[in-house]
Amino acid sequence: MKKLKPINQKAIELAGTTSQQQVDDVVAMQSVVGCASTTDPGWEVDMFGGTAGLCQPMEADLYGCSDPCWWPAQVPDMMNTYPDWSADAPSAAKNWRNLDSVYPGKE
Amino acid sequence: MTPTLVARLPAAVAITALSVLLSGCGPSQPQATSKDYMVVVSRPNHLNIIDAETLEPVNRCDLPAHPAPGTVVMSPDGQIAYTLIGSFGEVYGLDIESCEVVFSANQSQGNERVRSFGSIAISPDGSEIYLHQNPTLIMSDHYQAQPTRMAVFNVNDGLDAKAVRTFPAPRQVTIMKTGDDGTLYLGGPDVYAMDVSTGETRVAIASRSLSNPQYSPRDVLTVWPIGDTSNEFIRMFSVARFNGEPGDMAEASYHWGYERIDLTSGEVSDPIFGPLEVVLFSGQTRPGHPDQMWAVLSHLKQFDVPSQTEVRSLTLDHTYYCINFSTDGNTIYLSGALDDIVAYDADTLEKLGNITLGGDMSMSTPRVIHRPVITSRL
Repeated sequence: MKKLKPINQKAIELAGTTSQQQVDDVVAMQSVVGCASTTDPGWEVDMFGGTAGLCQPMEADLYGCSDPCWWPAQVPDMMNTYPDWSADAPSAAKNWRNLDSVYPGKE
Repeated sequence: MTPTLVARLPAAVAITALSVLLSGCGPSQPQATSKDYMVVVSRPNHLNIIDAETLEPVNRCDLPAHPAPGTVVMSPDGQIAYTLIGSFGEVYGLDIESCEVVFSANQSQGNERVRSFGSIAISPDGSEIYLHQNPTLIMSDHYQAQPTRMAVFNVNDGLDAKAVRTFPAPRQVTIMKTGDDGTLYLGGPDVYAMDVSTGETRVAIASRSLSNPQYSPRDVLTVWPIGDTSNEFIRMFSVARFNGEPGDMAEASYHWGYERIDLTSGEVSDPIFGPLEVVLFSGQTRPGHPDQMWAVLSHLKQFDVPSQTEVRSLTLDHTYYCINFSTDGNTIYLSGALDDIVAYDADTLEKLGNITLGGDMSMSTPRVIHRPVITSRL
């Protein structure tokens, strides 16, 4: 990071904030609301490195991960940006064909 | 007729048989004037009221917002279901017989977006609703995380209610329950006790702040404020016990424990109750049997708390997030995740039946209540 130089206003502000190590950043990172940055095991492997501990079937865990924005890299963030993602699929196991990919929306 | 036979029968027949079996009522016996019901949110936007003894739906109300997270608290008389829904931001109180919306609150205002996880609770007299709020200011090019707070709502304010009191509150709170004396308990990094009149907060059970060199830090995951039928605040933790030098993982053993508050007496406890062999999401003690701890995810497991041993284990048809008991402690209900609720006999572990809702419950927290009989609206 020391070799990176901010060149626009937002980047300068961000760099300054980082150097000051303001508490706000820590507070933001501690917030449980909003998307988790975690890549914890859970879908691919369980906490023991196997698959026996995963939710069965994976559809059982689908909305539990999209509703609270738990794994935004794997499933859409339904808490904030894609609340209607499952509108045509009330049952993940039965209606999964109605779940589509998502794309950045227009502001 | 045995429960096993009930499970083999076609659903409609099984439900009828189950009704007789569970109620224990013959034709000559008087009709019950009160019974157990389960109240649970499911997709796409339903509040389901289910006869917990027969597993038959008696009413279904349409919710006015997105169903997540679907955390329900009930008025003391079992008439009003307060549902935390609307993408974690809105609360609606519905009469479970008429489906009339009698209370609502949208926590977000202006450019302040407010979310609450499973953190909704109700005062013992039913007059106030408590919500742990996570506010974020939505700016044009960035977000600003704001201090978290406790918001108190007066249920008599009806629709579009505003908070009547707010207090600073710890961050990362995911479940809450109220004690019989009105103390509000918050499950966060530690378990906190808050005076809802003054906002004064103390640590009731040290969890993250606990320092014991013989154990690793505790790992807690819960968004299910369960335990009503045992009148308890309860959440599980996993922990490594260092049997060699502190921090020596090679000599460590892994265990489940729980952090519990008896909501009648205020007594706290945080014992280890068994070995950690599989992932479990929610657990509670069996009503009337405080030494029995039951927990669920893809298995249903019973533990004996004093001996810290696993007593029984059942591999389930699929994953369930949430466990509940009937008020008499004899029936176990598994719910959450997909769209069906299953009932087991707590003594024999025989499957008593199940009900399919048609839409997933996801991370909903159902309530089991005992109240006057509801005439079916379906």
